[in-house]
Amino acid sequence: MTTGISKRIQRIQFSLLSPEEIRKMAQVKVITADTYNDDGYPIERGLMDLHMGVIEPGLKCATCGGKVDECPGHFGNIELAMPVVHVGFIKEIKTFLDASCRSCGRIKLTEEQIVQYKERLSSMDFASADPEIIGLMSKRMTDEATQRMVCPHCGMQQKKIILDKPTTFREEGIKVTPKEIRERLEKIPDDDLMFFGMNREVARPEWMVLTVLPVPPINVRPSITLDTGERSEDDLTHKLVDIIRISQRLRESRDNGSPQLIIEDLWDLLQFHVTTYFDNQTAGIPPARHRSGRALKTLVQRLKGKDGRFRSNLSGKRVNFSARTVISPEPFLSINEVGVPEKAARELTLPVSVTPYNLDYVREVVARGQEPRDEFGKYIAGVNYIIRPDGRRIKITKQNAEENSKKVEPGWIVERQLSEGDIVLFNRQPSLHRMSMMAHTVRILGGQTFRFNLAVCTPYNADFDGDEMNLHVIQKEEGRAEARIIMKVREQIMSPRFGGPIIGGIHDHITAMFLLTHNNPLFSEEQAVHILSYVDLDQFPDPEMVDGVKFYRGRDIFSSILPAGLNMKFRSKLCKAAKNGVCDYEDDPKDTDVTIVNGVLETGTVDEEAIGPFSGQIIDKIFRKFGSSEAAQFIDRMTRLAVGVISALGFTTGIRDYDIPDNAVKRIEEISVEAVAKIDKLIENYRQDLLESMPGRSVEETLEIMILGITGEVRDESGKIASSFLGLNIPSVIMARSGARAKMLNISEVAGMVGQQSVRGGRINRGYYRRTLPHFLMDDIGASARGFVKSSYKSGLTPLEYFFHSIGGREGLVDIAVRTSRSGYMQRRLINAFEDLKVDESKKVRDTIGSIIQFTYGEDGIDPTRSEKGETVDVDYILMDMEKEASK
Amino acid sequence: MKVLLWKDTKKNIGILLEKGSLRYAVDFYTTGQELTEGYVTADGKNFVLKVKIGGISKYSASKDLVSKKKSDLKGIITIESAIDINPKPVSDFKIAGRAPKEIKEHVLAEVLQIEGEHLKNLVLNIPEPVKAIMDMASKMGFSLTLSVAQKIHSMRDQINDAQLKQLLQRIKEDIAVKGIDPYEAVGIIAAQSIGEPGTQMTMRTFHFAGVREMNVTLGLPRLIEIVDARRIPSTPSMTIHLRKGMEKDQSVVTKVIKELENTTLLDVAEIVTDVEAQTLTVEPVAERMKDRLVNFEDILSGLDTVKQVTLKADPAKQIVVVKPQQESFKKLYQVQEQLKILTIKGVPGIKRAIARADKETGEYILYTQGSNLKDVLQIEDIDPYRTYTNDIIEIANVLGIEAARDAVFMEAERTLQEQGLEVDKRHLMLVADMMSFTGSVRAVGRQGISGRKSSVLARAAFEITTKHLLRAGLLGEVDMLSGVAENIIVGQPITLGTGSVNLVYRGLQKN
Repeated sequence: MTTGISKRIQRIQFSLLSPEEIRKMAQVKVITADTYNDDGYPIERGLMDLHMGVIEPGLKCATCGGKVDECPGHFGNIELAMPVVHVGFIKEIKTFLDASCRSCGRIKLTEEQIVQYKERLSSMDFASADPEIIGLMSKRMTDEATQRMVCPHCGMQQKKIILDKPTTFREEGIKVTPKEIRERLEKIPDDDLMFFGMNREVARPEWMVLTVLPVPPINVRPSITLDTGERSEDDLTHKLVDIIRISQRLRESRDNGSPQLIIEDLWDLLQFHVTTYFDNQTAGIPPARHRSGRALKTLVQRLKGKDGRFRSNLSGKRVNFSARTVISPEPFLSINEVGVPEKAARELTLPVSVTPYNLDYVREVVARGQEPRDEFGKYIAGVNYIIRPDGRRIKITKQNAEENSKKVEPGWIVERQLSEGDIVLFNRQPSLHRMSMMAHTVRILGGQTFRFNLAVCTPYNADFDGDEMNLHVIQKEEGRAEARIIMKVREQIMSPRFGGPIIGGIHDHITAMFLLTHNNPLFSEEQAVHILSYVDLDQFPDPEMVDGVKFYRGRDIFSSILPAGLNMKFRSKLCKAAKNGVCDYEDDPKDTDVTIVNGVLETGTVDEEAIGPFSGQIIDKIFRKFGSSEAAQFIDRMTRLAVGVISALGFTTGIRDYDIPDNAVKRIEEISVEAVAKIDKLIENYRQDLLESMPGRSVEETLEIMILGITGEVRDESGKIASSFLGLNIPSVIMARSGARAKMLNISEVAGMVGQQSVRGGRINRGYYRRTLPHFLMDDIGASARGFVKSSYKSGLTPLEYFFHSIGGREGLVDIAVRTSRSGYMQRRLINAFEDLKVDESKKVRDTIGSIIQFTYGEDGIDPTRSEKGETVDVDYILMDMEKEASK
Repeated sequence: MKVLLWKDTKKNIGILLEKGSLRYAVDFYTTGQELTEGYVTADGKNFVLKVKIGGISKYSASKDLVSKKKSDLKGIITIESAIDINPKPVSDFKIAGRAPKEIKEHVLAEVLQIEGEHLKNLVLNIPEPVKAIMDMASKMGFSLTLSVAQKIHSMRDQINDAQLKQLLQRIKEDIAVKGIDPYEAVGIIAAQSIGEPGTQMTMRTFHFAGVREMNVTLGLPRLIEIVDARRIPSTPSMTIHLRKGMEKDQSVVTKVIKELENTTLLDVAEIVTDVEAQTLTVEPVAERMKDRLVNFEDILSGLDTVKQVTLKADPAKQIVVVKPQQESFKKLYQVQEQLKILTIKGVPGIKRAIARADKETGEYILYTQGSNLKDVLQIEDIDPYRTYTNDIIEIANVLGIEAARDAVFMEAERTLQEQGLEVDKRHLMLVADMMSFTGSVRAVGRQGISGRKSSVLARAAFEITTKHLLRAGLLGEVDMLSGVAENIIVGQPITLGTGSVNLVYRGLQKN
């Protein structure tokens, strides 16, 4: 239990282990290659010696007396019969041997050079300098020393040493034993080490030749008991067994004077085992294998790569107090809320420290037991565990709840179940940006799924086709406070990517707002009441009397959710393309622009541009002028209003949406025939060598480009014809024009023509020998033989067209698969390179060592989240606002 | 100003440098020029000696002469002084309007100079009234960016002084609210803002960039290329404007295109191989030469670079006979192949140049396939100030790191914009600054920024784990646990955002 000030690690110093240190930190000298005796008890001085820690419940560590989970584990050591080199340092050992004198051990630099280089090096602190630079400098010096074949200190003639990979050194063809290597390295004086890029404070070259091997604690290499009762040892233990065995045999052979050949063979074998113990993927030697044939996972393999210790266990960690389940939509929740199923809520707890101030409350909660419900059968939070000041946990059951509640005193901790209003983190992977993890307040719901408002789909990039999401319960007050202030959904409405809202209405929200405001329709009182019953408003909009009957205007209904004091004017998505302020889709030319005066929608159609994510002009303005709570409330009300509108009016789509008159179908057919004829003409010209190539292109390429141009034109043309018959009374068109879903292009594909299918930006030209399908003549490069689809989805595709269409579709799928992995890696690299940058008090951007990257963040010191869509200040708006204030 | 360039032996250069002032007998003679300066090279490419020339006269034997070689002397140069200079590359000179590749013997050349006509425009020239607005702001205690000041200036006639003051006050308040929070993790936000839209980008490598004839890599592959700081982009391309005043001149356009496009001998001439005589006859085709703007001399100078051959030019017949010095069919064949690919004109690396007239202004803009900024900048009729390449490393090498920083920013912005993705400029700026602040362009990744982090643990956690750990042991590296990755590894709060500050509770004060 950490209470109060927790310790902080200031720094971590790396160094090489000296043989003495290895022996010192070892709690036991391992001499037996065996692990357990017949009773299943660890053999003393064996690899599972109790001095190195415990993995079985019940046993106690012989060193610290701790039980499982208490004992951190302790090292042992193995005395190697003969020294062996450490594979990881093989290059460094080579440099040391090359650049130092084989007789006196000094670096082969003249005194002059030594003085000169020393000066250069003395300015560098090995512990903190850039290792790349030290590497480069020492490489220059050692290279120079290596070149010299006579020692400038003792005059000894040098011999050339070659490295016979992976671990054998040869001097003029004769093998240099690790023992000799060690002896030579020992001779190198401390003062010379700096030239080799070695820090004399922490390392000696001879330590790179091992005479004693540390044995890692047992908890690092636990053995597992299989269901059969059989013990299965960790890969490291296996490897250590090999090492001890060979080391023993080598010692015996050496002591009883076996032939040199046998000793050398054993020595090499020991070297092999130690090498593979460190790295089982060393180039040049076969990896050591398990009995089953699987390569062993030894030290380097444990650390390296995606599943290695670093990336899998240290940079990313598993957590408790989290839940994961399928997500589903719930339009009646606020964007700030998340619906948690009861089942999950009963499991998730948060610690409540008992104080004199909350003692009564806590006792009451504890007394409820594990599955309490209120008098209506509704979920209320219970308690799963209580923790005594000494750290003992007591499980609360129906039986002991009453009794335990009395025991609870200040100083205890009670693990209370999740309850309504608690703040939790909610996340969907891949977490590509900070809005992928936001704080929500909890609503306990029935069912099995997490639920949330549909407006929050965009930042999470979630849909409900089986997506799952994670939920984390924050365990500390500090964390909860931060989550509430910075991570709450309403605080994340603005995206730092572009300084606009990323949360807004989608799909039916947009359709509904369009239906509500386009041409300002009238709603009967019954309809209006239905619609407004979805929204928590105090006031009903003013009615309009038509022939003595009360009617309500759509825009007035919409205005009722706008905050008073909102003034704005912008062009709707529907009229984006309007020229000279004349919009084809509005009956009243005034409606080209959306105008809101003092919170009343006066003209225009509310669509994606107004309330959608990314564009959301109204959301943007409300957030800036009234703050995050108002913006969140607007989105809440808007989404609920949308459900009201669309359920009052009804909205559907079907194949009927795509009916166009026969003469239009005929016209589209005609233009496609024309286009095919045009293409045939081009091909004819090409065949007769009449086609002139574009500069820098071959004739074939020119032909392809021109054909693609024609097919593109036809599709556009057919789209134009089709859409001219598809007005705003058609639901599909409403969706496309308002920005709710799909583009007009998709509609023209259904009603008009699908058009040319492509692979890699060109027509389809692969498949059979000199043709795409056996249905065509060889070398037929005409329109239909290369994937031109004349039909529309509605009329149906011919089998051949269908086939080409699926080729194009497949490319899209492959594209997505390739893209996600490529962009994922790019983002990982970007994050890794930029994660340490922060802004300091004076808005300078600095990295960890204090280098200044920017003198003022972004050249103006403005937070992109709060910027006006990227601009520093919106001078026009400020002026307008000033005028408004002055006129007041 | 014309200068004399010649090639000499290293030994002679030593003598010249030692004596300083002397009369130097050489194997050439030039007249008609008021030469005062000369440069000497040993290898034909870099000039290491600069001499002050008093005059050049015809050769006549004399005692005080120092001779370049023993015989065949033609002229005497009176050298007043000789100084050792930092090697000056041959590309710093211009011969007959073009950049030479190598100096064979001697040649008259011009020293390339940066012309000053546009320089004035390049200096950031803030108009007085705009500056006044900025000054006003700084008096009020905040700094106004130029773009905002300009915007206010453009509306100056609509607002009176009192209003201006009020406006500035409002802007000051606005900026104070919108300022970036101290300790904000701007790096992570930038990385996310660029990485997240990556999933929405197309993978299609090729796209048309206004010019139908040319392909340019765009989308995600291009973005990856930019952050990778690749030596050579997959589709290097340049955008070249013409000098002011000739922007609409069709004839200049064609001339520049011809100068840009790499022309090989085969493009302008036929090569006839005479096996019996062991010769190759180069027969230029007048029509093609005209088309490519090549003259006979160009072909000759191009052929000059071919080694181990003797050339016999026949200016009357306009043909050149090339004979390998060594008589063998093998050699003949080799020379023939060499001639086929011989470059005689154009900028190396520029495969193709295409001109497009701007729809609105009618000005011609040239787009090239292939990039060679340094050489293209020396072409006379182009506007060097509006010449651009998408090769970031090349920009860094030719124009320097600040230009490269802007190039990273511009290329990234263009790539994202083309895909219709909105990303705040500040994020791209930060990426560009981070990639260039050390003075060289560093890639985002283990070879660049990530590989040079100060923390051992952070490096080990990214890629190549063991290498970093082992080296840390030898060096006794100390990890100060100041970054994000290392603190997560040891299980501590990170040092960004709210983790940078501590809350201290003092408790209740007594009475």
